[in-house]
Amino acid sequence: MAGAWQGPLEKIDDYRFRIPKSYKPGMRVPGLIYTDEKLLKDIREDKAMEQVANVAFLPGIVENSLAMPDIHWGYGFCIGGVAATDIENGGVISPGGVGFDINCGVRLLKTELEYDEIKDKLKDLVCRLFSDVPSGVGSKGDIRVGQKEEKEILVKGSRWAVEKGFGTQADLECTEEYGAMEGADPDAVSDRAYERGKAQSGTLGSGNHFLEIQAIDQLYDRDLCDVFGFRLGQITIMIHSGSRGLGYQICDEYTQSMIHCLQKYSINVPDKQLACAPVNSAEGKAYLGAMKCAANYAWANRQCLMHLTRQGFEKIFGLSWQKLGMELIYDVAHNIAKIEKHQVGGKEKKLCVHRKGATRSLPAGHPALPERYKKIGQPVIIPGDMGRNSYLLVGAEKAAETFFSACHGAGRLKSRTQASKSINLNALLKDLESKGIIVKASGRGTIVEEAPQVYKDVNEVVDVVHNAGLARRVCRMRPLGVIKG
Amino acid sequence: MAHFFHSQGPPLYRFQVKKKNYEFIEHTADLCIRVKAGNLSALFKNAALAVFEIIATPKKREKTSRKKLRINQEADNLEELFINWLNELLSLSSAKGLIFDDFKIEKLDDHHLKAQAFAGDMKNYEVNTEIKAATYHELKIAQIDSGWQAEVILDV
Repeated sequence: MAGAWQGPLEKIDDYRFRIPKSYKPGMRVPGLIYTDEKLLKDIREDKAMEQVANVAFLPGIVENSLAMPDIHWGYGFCIGGVAATDIENGGVISPGGVGFDINCGVRLLKTELEYDEIKDKLKDLVCRLFSDVPSGVGSKGDIRVGQKEEKEILVKGSRWAVEKGFGTQADLECTEEYGAMEGADPDAVSDRAYERGKAQSGTLGSGNHFLEIQAIDQLYDRDLCDVFGFRLGQITIMIHSGSRGLGYQICDEYTQSMIHCLQKYSINVPDKQLACAPVNSAEGKAYLGAMKCAANYAWANRQCLMHLTRQGFEKIFGLSWQKLGMELIYDVAHNIAKIEKHQVGGKEKKLCVHRKGATRSLPAGHPALPERYKKIGQPVIIPGDMGRNSYLLVGAEKAAETFFSACHGAGRLKSRTQASKSINLNALLKDLESKGIIVKASGRGTIVEEAPQVYKDVNEVVDVVHNAGLARRVCRMRPLGVIKG
Repeated sequence: MAHFFHSQGPPLYRFQVKKKNYEFIEHTADLCIRVKAGNLSALFKNAALAVFEIIATPKKREKTSRKKLRINQEADNLEELFINWLNELLSLSSAKGLIFDDFKIEKLDDHHLKAQAFAGDMKNYEVNTEIKAATYHELKIAQIDSGWQAEVILDV
């Protein structure tokens, strides 16, 4: 193990803990971790806290280096980290603050199906989706495009897919940034990145990425559930994927180039993986233009994955997806950097908000919200592990103190090596079976490495987010059928 | 309810065995490996072999059609050269659909690397794990009594 973190931590209230700025010379702001005493015990076991302190070195960082309750050890930034830098005050952008899987994110679809209507068809459904939705390491999709069209994807994002007939205008309204960030610069993307991305549109990928059929098993806010049209036992679908090889290549290339920026702009960070450049520098602008391309690619990818899922359901049920009520609730990015306006010290500032394993959480009335969610706030989608639960929440006012951010999942607790040593595949499968969960994966290893016990309990993580006022619980889902890469 | 798998799958406990030239070190989310070798060239070679051994296992014992790629890298220092080397191989593997299984390091100093990399077509391998990239976080490259040692965290 990494050894328990011994640094100073001040308890502010039941859900907030501070690493004082004085902990390390070079920290520009304190660290602020949203968690509770119980989750904190595990968080202290690895180096995630040290990473929160390291992120506080970033030039231009304002208020706090933040961490959500699903925080765990990453590389450079912790996972579950949020950092905002003041663009007009030398604020930087760091590819490591976004990660290799740019715009890794999750979308939630509803259906009008009930559990009783699908339980006998679940196995067929999982088989159909496993066969129709390409998954696994390096998986290639049937949606093949040339370099010219790939450029179009990088600019148009989900809109490209909708224009191809893989969705509707309503899907775009229900996607963060309407499925495409403005300012994507295809010329900032290398030929190699194009090459890595070209065959991977409409593919799920591997590792923790998944497609899951779920049933709603708990309603928390009846009024909000009525707005979404949700009831107990209703079937939902969750899709978790990102920008695949295209995003990895962009992150790698720009991390390499920004290591040189550390000297050029006299930037002192304690970890090279935090390499960065001022947002307003040529290097910063180029990365942002390329990152947006990968983000748009990821939205197009999830749009294609949803299209394939809708088609799979149509084949099994013999009804159109519209008849099945397969509407997109929302799609959120949880690895991204965005230029946003926020109040800092009573003044509106233009900030570069890095969310590395964190979800945007806009409250009701926020101007960036589509009309349909103006009154209730942005849907915040929190996937859990394959044996427990996932959640739908909506953004809340108090998230202003986290630059409108909440957690992104359960957060890992155990390493892959520990999982391999301590988890017996057959016992795990028996346990999932007793809960009525079907799993289909490309590789057996993935199931062990992604077992429920390697993750924190998402219920505890979401409790903190809800109780700290970062987002409000709407309903909870339990998994029925899981497709893993 | 039934559980089923697409394929026979990879060896299940692949992260717990101490391999010939490398071992796994605990990391919560990613994979950390410690690689050893008698000299620096062998360290670069063993690290790359470890990475691709984690990624894939050949379906057949005999080597099928082979490809040879030339790799040239420049960097400001040894650490950057090491990361660039691994990430270039990961990138080529993903872009070209290849799995590397042998390397000949022709020239190596703190700033330059010239090598030949040998690969087979990915379709002849059981691909187990996706490694997105090698990272600088907690990277250690050092001389030890028996030669050289590197510790590197791989984003998976």
